[in-house]
Amino acid sequence: MNVQARRMSASRTDDDAFEALFTSEYARVVRIANRVLADSHEAEDVAQEVFIDFHRLHSATADYAPAWLHRAAAHASLNRLRGARRRQKRELAQALEEGDKTLDPQKQAELAEDRRRLREALGRLSPKPAAVLVLRASGLSYAEVAQALGVGIGQIGTLLRRAEETLRKEVTRGTSS
Amino acid sequence: MVDDPDAKVGADAAHLEGCADCQARFKSIAGDASSIATLLAVPEAEVDVAKAYAQISREPRSQPALVRFPALRPVTRPAFALVAAVLVGAIAVVAFAFSGLLFKPSTVKPVPVTIADVQALSQLSEYGTVSWTKQPDLHVVTSAADAAAVAGFPAPVASGLPKGVSTTITYAAMPQAQATFTFSAAKAAAAAARHGKTAPKLPAGMDGATMTVTVGPAIGEVYGNLNAPTGTKADGSSTVNDINLPQLVLAKSAAPTATSTQVSVTTLENFILSQPGISPELSNAVKAIGDPSTTLLIPVPVQYATATTVTVQGVDGVALGDNTGVGSGVVWLKNSYVYVVAGSVKQSDAINIANNLK
Repeated sequence: MNVQARRMSASRTDDDAFEALFTSEYARVVRIANRVLADSHEAEDVAQEVFIDFHRLHSATADYAPAWLHRAAAHASLNRLRGARRRQKRELAQALEEGDKTLDPQKQAELAEDRRRLREALGRLSPKPAAVLVLRASGLSYAEVAQALGVGIGQIGTLLRRAEETLRKEVTRGTSS
Repeated sequence: MVDDPDAKVGADAAHLEGCADCQARFKSIAGDASSIATLLAVPEAEVDVAKAYAQISREPRSQPALVRFPALRPVTRPAFALVAAVLVGAIAVVAFAFSGLLFKPSTVKPVPVTIADVQALSQLSEYGTVSWTKQPDLHVVTSAADAAAVAGFPAPVASGLPKGVSTTITYAAMPQAQATFTFSAAKAAAAAARHGKTAPKLPAGMDGATMTVTVGPAIGEVYGNLNAPTGTKADGSSTVNDINLPQLVLAKSAAPTATSTQVSVTTLENFILSQPGISPELSNAVKAIGDPSTTLLIPVPVQYATATTVTVQGVDGVALGDNTGVGSGVVWLKNSYVYVVAGSVKQSDAINIANNLK
C-alpha cells in the first residue's frame, strides 16, 4: 500500500470511529446540556458544537473520548447558561415543561421561578462544582463523573455534597439580594 | 452516601443509625440533594442521532485539524497543553527570529492563539527544509545528578508542593539541539498548491535564506509514579482511582536563540501575520509587542486556557489556567533560562512552587 492509500485508509478509519462515537454518545451529551439549559434545541446546538470541537482536535479512538465529551458538554452548556441573551427563551421553555402542567397555575409559576433561580445560581458556581452537579444529575455514574473531571472516584461524593451546599447557599444569596 | 447505596454499609451506616447529629446532617444533605435534583429535572430531549450526524458532517468546521492532541487521557491534557503551548511558542520564536539579528529573549509575553493560528503557523514549516546540526537527544534518567550530567546545569529543586502531589520524580534531560531552516520559494509554491491556494508572495531575499535555531539544554521533572501498575476491574478495564499520570511537571531550559540572514524582522513579521488563517487577535497582540527579538511569545489557546501576567522570582511570568478548571501552569524567563511549572494543581499552588523553585 502506498503512502496516499495508507492515508486515505487511516482517514476512513478515523471517520468510522467518529461516527461510532457520535452514535453512542450524542444522546447522552444532549442530555447533559439539556439538564443545564432546559431547552432541548439549544442542548442539541451545544452537543453538536462539542462534537465538532472534539473531532477537530482529537482522535475518536482516544480512550478518553466519552469523558472529554461529557465534561465539554457540561462546561459549554454552563457557559451558555451564563449568557444573558437566551435567558428569556429558556425561562419560557422551563415554564412550559410537560410534567408541570398538572400543577395549578400558582404552583407552576413558583416552580418555574425556583428553577430559574437554581439555574442562575448554577451559572455563578465555579466550573468544577457546577460540572459535578450537572454530570451526576444527568445520570452519569460516580465513575463516569470522575473520569470526566479527571479526579479520583473516591472524591466524587465529597465534591457532590460540597457543590450541593454551595449551590443552596448561592440560591439563598441570589434570593436575598 | 445520600445517592450512593453502596456507601451506606458497614461501620458508617451503623454509626449513622445511632448518632442524632449525623442523622440531622444527613437529613439536611439529603434534602439539598433532593431539591436540587427536582429543580434540575427536565423532560427528556428526543434526539434524531442520524439527522444530527448528517448535520455536523456537512459542517466544514468539523473536519479534523492538521494539529490534533495526541491520545492522552484528560488528566494529562492541562500539562500537555502547556508543554504544547511552549512548543508552539518555539515555532513563533523561530518565525520571528528570522531577523538578521541574534534573537535572544529576555522576557515572556502571552499572545492569544486559535487553532486556525496554529494551522497557519504550521504551514510555514512547509516553506523550506530543516537540517539538524545537533539532533535532539532526550535521556530519561533516574536521578537529578544524572539529569544534571546530561544538561550541564543542576536540576531545579521544588519545595512547598501541595499535599497529595507524589514525591516520585522521573527526570528527563536533553543536551543542546540545533537546526537550520532554509526557506525555498519553490517549496512554498508547492505547499500552497497542495492546499489549493495561491503561492504566497515571499519577501525579497527570503528564497535561500537560512535560519539557525538553538534549543536546550533542558531538564524536565515529572512528579507521579508513572510505573505503578494500573488497577483493573473484573471486566478488565482500568479503574479511575489508579490513574498513574503526572501530577506536576517542572522544566528548565536554556532560552532558545536564533540567528538568521537576509530578511528584516519587520518584513518577516508582516509576512507571517498575513498568512491565511491568522486571527486579528494574534496579529494585534504580536504587533503590540515592542521588540520581538527579545520576547519569547507564549501562545495561549483561547478556547482552552486563560493567561495572566504575574511576577515570578522578581521577573514577569505568564500564568496559564486551563478553562476546565483542572490544571494550571506558569512560564517565566530568568537569567537566560526558561522555566515551566505545570500540572493538575491550583494556579496559586503553581505560582507558589514557581516562586520557591531553586
